[in-house]
Amino acid sequence: MKRIIIAATLLSLLLAAPVMAHFQMVYTPQSALAKAGSIDLKLVFTHPFEAGHTMDMGQPEQFFVVHKGKKADLLSTLKPVVWTSLTNSGAAYEASFKLRGMGDNVFCLVPSPYFEKEEDSFIQQITKVVVNTGGFPTDWDAPVGLPAEILPLDKPYALWTGNVFRGVVLSEGKPVPNAKIEVEYLNHAPLMDKNAFAKTAAVEAPQDAFVTMTIKANAAGEFVFGIPRTGWWGFCALGVGPAKAFKGKALSQDAVIWIQARDMK
Amino acid sequence: MKPIVSAILFMAIVCAVPAAAHTPLCACYNNGDDTVTCEGGFSDGSSAAGVQMRVEDASGKMLIKGKMDANSEFNFKKPDGTYRVIFDAGEGHVIEIDGKDILE
Repeated sequence: MKRIIIAATLLSLLLAAPVMAHFQMVYTPQSALAKAGSIDLKLVFTHPFEAGHTMDMGQPEQFFVVHKGKKADLLSTLKPVVWTSLTNSGAAYEASFKLRGMGDNVFCLVPSPYFEKEEDSFIQQITKVVVNTGGFPTDWDAPVGLPAEILPLDKPYALWTGNVFRGVVLSEGKPVPNAKIEVEYLNHAPLMDKNAFAKTAAVEAPQDAFVTMTIKANAAGEFVFGIPRTGWWGFCALGVGPAKAFKGKALSQDAVIWIQARDMK
Repeated sequence: MKPIVSAILFMAIVCAVPAAAHTPLCACYNNGDDTVTCEGGFSDGSSAAGVQMRVEDASGKMLIKGKMDANSEFNFKKPDGTYRVIFDAGEGHVIEIDGKDILE
């Protein structure tokens, strides 16, 4: 009898495990800088709300920045690092970049497809983050031309807590009606020196539906999200890219964007 | 009729300087070869092309005078000693940048 109870308890624990979403992060501490200078970026494929299981990234296909309409290849600047989550560690990358002058710097990562054993399929999350210097807007609202892309309608670096963030989900430049979008809060501060997540969580989710929130785009592919808390928020439009298979298995080509909100104080 | 023409003219003049309604922005950096590049613009993303630029010494004496070019940039040879850069887009739209804050 005891064994059955233990088994039942274990099973219920397993079933109760939060539904977490994979999120490709391109992280830097500050998205809106007063002046240009060097910034550090960390590329981590993880579960940001729980600072949970961090997947091993392969050699990225592309990593570049767009500034004033010009694209600069940064692939050769990537250095492999090991990122420590609360439950494991995984292969990740870091980069340093010297920002110049004023304007938007749209960092774009096209990672190599990741094989998810549990689902017997591949995931490729094409990720954007915008870093601005001096408050001068230049590139944030122009599509980069990625196969899967979230085009912001609000500056992703100039948001107060309580603002809304709006975006359009694009597949090869065309809006994706009713796209499914996962939203997750970066709940554990990334420790830049340690290549690890802080152990302390900022918030606690009352229930699983709050860990990875799922929202839908409207018929025009647009979505709106009210930002309830300061910090970084990730948006991931699932399977919107044109590529549907990789190495003979299903591929979900997702579009990710990260935004940063600040408290009014 | 005349007041209408004047009003239209006035409107045209006002509309021709849309950037003036927005916050001016200017940033300068040292190119590392004794030259400095300043970039200008306005908070709505509009260009600062044609905006008056001045470089002055500590006493306010003008050392260099010029304009933001078509790319909204202004390049000059870094003066010896203390200097400051003035981005002058008209009253209420002036930015002063201290030379000691202009780094590589």
